[in-house]
Amino acid sequence: MIITLLYYLLIAYIAVLIIWNLIRSKKWQEEILYLIILMPFILRLFRLK
Amino acid sequence: MAATAQIVLIVMVITYITIRLFKISTELALFIAALAGAVAGGAGIPARHIVEGAFTYLDIILIFITATLFMNILKESGGVAFVVRGLLARFHRHKAILFVLITFLLLIPGALTGAGSVTVLITGGMIATVLHYMGIPKAKAAAIIFILAGLSAAAPPVSLWAMLTAAGVNMPYVGFFLPLLIPCVVLSLLTIFILGWKAKAVNLEKALEELPLAPARMNWQRVLLPFSVFFLLVAAGRIWPHSLPIIGLPLLFVAAGLSSFLLSPIKLDFFKISRETVQQLLPLIGTLTCVGILVQIMTLTGARGLIAISIVTLPLTVVLLSLSLVLPISEAVLMWGAAPVLGVPLVLLFNTIGLNPIVALAGMSVIWPLGDALPPTAIIGRLTQDTVGLEGSYGQLLKQCLIPAVIIMVAGTLLVIFSKELSFLTLL
Repeated sequence: MIITLLYYLLIAYIAVLIIWNLIRSKKWQEEILYLIILMPFILRLFRLK
Repeated sequence: MAATAQIVLIVMVITYITIRLFKISTELALFIAALAGAVAGGAGIPARHIVEGAFTYLDIILIFITATLFMNILKESGGVAFVVRGLLARFHRHKAILFVLITFLLLIPGALTGAGSVTVLITGGMIATVLHYMGIPKAKAAAIIFILAGLSAAAPPVSLWAMLTAAGVNMPYVGFFLPLLIPCVVLSLLTIFILGWKAKAVNLEKALEELPLAPARMNWQRVLLPFSVFFLLVAAGRIWPHSLPIIGLPLLFVAAGLSSFLLSPIKLDFFKISRETVQQLLPLIGTLTCVGILVQIMTLTGARGLIAISIVTLPLTVVLLSLSLVLPISEAVLMWGAAPVLGVPLVLLFNTIGLNPIVALAGMSVIWPLGDALPPTAIIGRLTQDTVGLEGSYGQLLKQCLIPAVIIMVAGTLLVIFSKELSFLTLL
């Protein structure tokens, strides 16, 4: 249970990092890529997948 | 179905090539090729499969991010500079010992993270300085760093090619340690001694002047303790498998990274290092996510099955003899995508004919990284060229890589051919 919680925290932290970098990015290709890689993190975080 | 799969495959290849011609990144080209394949296969835009595919390598992505974060914290705290300076000061007169130590310094970051680019970024620049002051030309130094970075990525405990292929054939990632470690170490040592045999003793004063300074309070305990935390947790999990929960590699790396952060003699900005780590890894995480989607769509449309059938029905001699060319080329085009697309049918084929799938996969994993120097992607090759500061044609680096590359190809192929005889290495 604690390990699962720690993994959710890790996922949340990485999602924040991706969103932060996405907002700061000035290159459209990077932005699209950030959106693609963000998808599994957000879905896992909200327990949709 | 076979005809449809052929059309889908052709559409994917044409889309990929067209997108690349427009200078769009490899990752996005893979993603768009997957979408085009889905449309051509009559699946439209299959949201469920895109999501499924994006999740395929999430566990590996977590390992990637946390391991690189650990390495970056160690570098930012001055730990890497401390180790390089310390070893240089102690062994600058002993070329052979220095070469062995350099080999391990280059192997460790990639072995722990599974990414050759991490090796180039963490230790590559500093090792290039050392090699420069040993009188090794920049092209040769770049070749040493590139080849060892590639082998470090294939080395255990984290070898993405082996992990991705093993996952694709539902084989546990167990028994790979020695089959991967022995060839990676031996081939790395061969490479550095072959390319650096004309090296002379280091000009210590000049080399130390150019290398980054380590913080005054940095010491061996601060460097080694985070590694001890990592290995102790790994060992504890194996010694008491029924008493301890399965922590998983990502959390082990987080623990090591936090230890390194807490032991750092200088104040570090954890959030900034984390952001930069994600930025640094974007092409690699992007590739893994997009390859997952591509493989999922290929499976959905039958294109993956077509490749698998085509490979397993080829004459075995052709398969074995072409491994050393097909694997690097597939890596150059698909990067890690080559492992689930080509690796899976190959391992199934080898298993069917009685070869040892673990040792055979280890042999293939040693050959795959060579493709990271080849266009169209050549990410690690170009990264190495920039890090070392090699000016002029990229061809100089490729030329210097030739002899070690041939040795690696032969060794990898022999590992596959004699995998049954070498199955004792798996300790299973």
